Amino acid sequence: MRMALWGVLAAGLLAGQPDCRFDGDREAPTRALRRVEEAAGRMAKSPAFAAASRNVPASAIPRRNFIDRAVFDRLQRLNVPAARLTTDEEFVRRIHLDLTGHLPSPAAIREFVADQGATKRDRLIERLIYSPDFDARWTLWLGDLLQNSAVASTQSSQIDGRNAFHTWITAALATGKSLRDIAIEVLTAQGSTFDTDRAGTNYILRSRVPTGPNQDKFDDLLSRTASTFLGIGHYDCIVCHDGRRRMDDLSVWGRSATRMEAWRMAAFFSRIRYTLVSNDRTNPAFQSWDISDAPAGAYDLNTNFGNRPARVGSPELRTVMPGYRLGQTPSPGANWRAAFAGYLVDDPMFARNLANRVWKQLFSLGLVEPVNQLDPARLDPRNPPPAPWRLQAANPELLEELAAELTRSGFGLKSFVRTLVQSSAYQLSSGYEGPWRPDDAGLFARHYPRRLEAEEIHDTIQQATGVVASYPIGGWAEPMRWAVDFPDTAEPRSNGAVANFLNSFLRGDRESLERSQASSIVQQLYLMNDPFVLNRIRASSSPVLGAILRLQDPGAATEELFLAFLARTPTAEERRVAAGHLGRATTTAARTAALEDLAWALVNRTDFAFSY
Amino acid sequence: MKNRFGFDWSGITGQPFLRAPHWSRRVFFRHLASGIGGYYLAPSRPLETVARAAVSPIATAKSCILIMMAGGPSHIDTFDLKEGPWTPAGFQPASFGDIRWPAGLMPRLAEQMESIALVRSVRAWAAVHDLARNWLMIGRNPAPAAARIAPHIGSVVAVELGRKESPLPAFLSLNTNNGPGSGFLPPENAPFYVNPGGGGLPNAGHRDGAAAYERRLGLLRSLEPESPEGLNITASAAEVRAFRERATALMSSTAVNTVFTWDAAERNRYGNTAFGNACIAARNLVRGNLGTRFVQITVGGWDNHANIYGGPFNAANPNSLGRQFDTALGALLADLKSGGHAEETLVVALGEFGRTIGPVNAQAGRDHFLQQAVLVSGARVRGGRAIGSSDELGRNVADPGWSRSREIRGEDLAATIYSALGIDWTTIRRDDPAGRGFEYVPSAAQDLYGPIQELWS
Repeated sequence: MRMALWGVLAAGLLAGQPDCRFDGDREAPTRALRRVEEAAGRMAKSPAFAAASRNVPASAIPRRNFIDRAVFDRLQRLNVPAARLTTDEEFVRRIHLDLTGHLPSPAAIREFVADQGATKRDRLIERLIYSPDFDARWTLWLGDLLQNSAVASTQSSQIDGRNAFHTWITAALATGKSLRDIAIEVLTAQGSTFDTDRAGTNYILRSRVPTGPNQDKFDDLLSRTASTFLGIGHYDCIVCHDGRRRMDDLSVWGRSATRMEAWRMAAFFSRIRYTLVSNDRTNPAFQSWDISDAPAGAYDLNTNFGNRPARVGSPELRTVMPGYRLGQTPSPGANWRAAFAGYLVDDPMFARNLANRVWKQLFSLGLVEPVNQLDPARLDPRNPPPAPWRLQAANPELLEELAAELTRSGFGLKSFVRTLVQSSAYQLSSGYEGPWRPDDAGLFARHYPRRLEAEEIHDTIQQATGVVASYPIGGWAEPMRWAVDFPDTAEPRSNGAVANFLNSFLRGDRESLERSQASSIVQQLYLMNDPFVLNRIRASSSPVLGAILRLQDPGAATEELFLAFLARTPTAEERRVAAGHLGRATTTAARTAALEDLAWALVNRTDFAFSY
Repeated sequence: MKNRFGFDWSGITGQPFLRAPHWSRRVFFRHLASGIGGYYLAPSRPLETVARAAVSPIATAKSCILIMMAGGPSHIDTFDLKEGPWTPAGFQPASFGDIRWPAGLMPRLAEQMESIALVRSVRAWAAVHDLARNWLMIGRNPAPAAARIAPHIGSVVAVELGRKESPLPAFLSLNTNNGPGSGFLPPENAPFYVNPGGGGLPNAGHRDGAAAYERRLGLLRSLEPESPEGLNITASAAEVRAFRERATALMSSTAVNTVFTWDAAERNRYGNTAFGNACIAARNLVRGNLGTRFVQITVGGWDNHANIYGGPFNAANPNSLGRQFDTALGALLADLKSGGHAEETLVVALGEFGRTIGPVNAQAGRDHFLQQAVLVSGARVRGGRAIGSSDELGRNVADPGWSRSREIRGEDLAATIYSALGIDWTTIRRDDPAGRGFEYVPSAAQDLYGPIQELWS
């Protein structure tokens, strides 16, 4: 195969090279699977699960919906056993963390385990999906997707814009606005970036790339939009150059995509106008932007400087008119952004992309990885790519069915999440018996644990200890208490130490720095030594530990401690070690110290920071 | 087709990393589709390296400090000065042998000129920030999917020269928190990200006291279950645990805290900037000899599309980027020399590409450009001269200045760093996940790239 060398050499790039953020996530496959493996491996050997980690034949797993048929029928055909289903304890912890980012309370755990009803898992799912905690956790997810932040290297929304957008996203979830409508409203938003009702304008504002011609802005908006909503991150490459000879090894679609096609897509945005509104202030932090659409104009081929290579037309073609990648063109007089949004949400890639992203959030591994490198020419099982290329998805038929289900249900996030978590596939244990072949990851024969995000780790430590902070957040009347509520990933700006704690778990900047699941020495140093942790495990500050301290019986204390911190009951061995540690203390001071030691140890246990 | 130097690149039919007789492309893409990647994929093998050619690394350096000037500094205003009507008076260009240098903008480095070699025949492969920067940091094209598991050069250095018992990781990365990591190499070779401020290493001590810490750690270990042997997944399952063990070891070293602690006077001498602090930390790491062999310092702000001479290259403003850079790097080179460590420490400063030449653009700035220049010092590199040259405007390479008689690429720079550190740059590792061999420098078998030996002659 040919290298990209010749293509790059031949580019002869001169003035005005693009600020082409290569938003292809280089380490995604490594990272995705590493995360999968480290947690899966951990859980496989944990005594809590080892005894009960017997695999089952795939035929024995109940098929609750099309996902199960797709996953388990294939396992059956390949004669690969499935993990067993989760126990109630495993399930209640996982579903709370995955849907709300918070732990179940000890009382909720006990109640769920004791419930004998046959439909208790479905009932719990319903309750959580319609809880405000779900809205908060998935506002965080959408905030990542829509890249909401106060500060950006291109154009900042400022605190007020970010807050408006955050409020808009939260309301969208709470009122059940579909992902389809969210996409349309964001892409067509007009008006003030500070206006909550029109806060999608902040998404548009982000593409106001400075130090370049307007076409840089339109290109940037197209690149981001294609990546975010269609999963086609390679448009960021195609806005600079044809795919031929540069993307030959990357994408079947990409290798024959042309810059002209990208221009036709970007042209839909070429009537956007950005107007600074001073709001009678000189400080930019208080100045909003007005996003509007000019009545005329198009994508001109007349630039020779800026962030992308020169756009040179010809006497026959000085201006590019909009044309969607599937061929549609807007009717005369139509608003171009509205037309684009309409074509986008009807694009099969829209459903595939969102289905893949939501799947990844719940199953820890996308059906296509990385999630922003979807290749339109390698996803349809009825139209497979030419050899030696293969279909991209780990289970191509399943991805198509998920996309179809998302479309059929009107792109409702909650109903789609319900479908995923009701499946047996989601409810498999992460414990797996016997030799595990990493090649089998795409089979989803087990559940893959995920390390909790920074915000979730912060919040679960607060929940477990009962020590809840209070952070003033710019522009909000009331301080916020839970990190999952933060409107962007740079908060709390009012508390740099806690912000550093959160940053060590790599929450990204919603711009070029993605969230990462990588482990590091720094994370361990924070968990072991940071005041955020140490101040919370003091019995004198922690209501939870204070209450446990009053329990005289070390066994009961151990059980309460495990329920509070790890959201499960201890195993026999854990009980022996922990109760033994508590029981050896004779004085109150010694018992206090012993309890605090145990609390510290549980926070630092590897499984504390995982949803498994 | 031969290029201007009679060099024919067309013989390269693909990165050997992607070509292996026993692994068909079909299987390879299937793996990519399922997102497979990572060192744990390979069944455990001894770390076998097969050096393809008998080479003699220069081996003068114990450690390397790589300064990544993120954004791409204008080469004609820094390391490859080209004077014209655009050159501000404040630059005060001066001659040092055959070198013209903006002594007004970078006075401290001017004083160190006899220790500095400027490599002026370098060309970037791409003028796109992340792409070009990653290219330099992994020493190969980052776009092909296979490159996703390629390690940072620093991680290669770590796996070669790092020692498990050292208090500090072998690879430190200062003032950034992202970029290529250890790729498919074991995670202890990943960069350890630190933003040094002079107040010690954050959270490197247990505030409740050492006794409490020992007690708690013991309890934690007794509560963590053991991992069963034989399963491939235990390698990465132990990753988190391994980082905790490293963190513990780091905490017990008082020398570590000393490395990251300095006073206000020191901070001011280096310019009281984040870059200055990172240079102090790098110097201390070299002096401290705690196991760190590769330090990357990221200093941004060089993407000057606008107002280049009014802002970052305003020589009259001591807080301008150019002056700050000079203050810190000048102090670092001076301290390395006075401390006796210069001869065993390779310092390389470069950006991901250069900037447009001649008159400035419509916004009084310069845009991305493939021609660039690199500063090299230490490790017995002969200073006070330039290797190679560009044409009168800095547009293209005029004289390559080295034995391969062509433009110098990022792959050659990687080979140079490996050679200086005594690492055989032709090494092919056999423990990569695809099982087809990972070359430290691409196309080693064809001897396509190599170190710039001329730096030492």
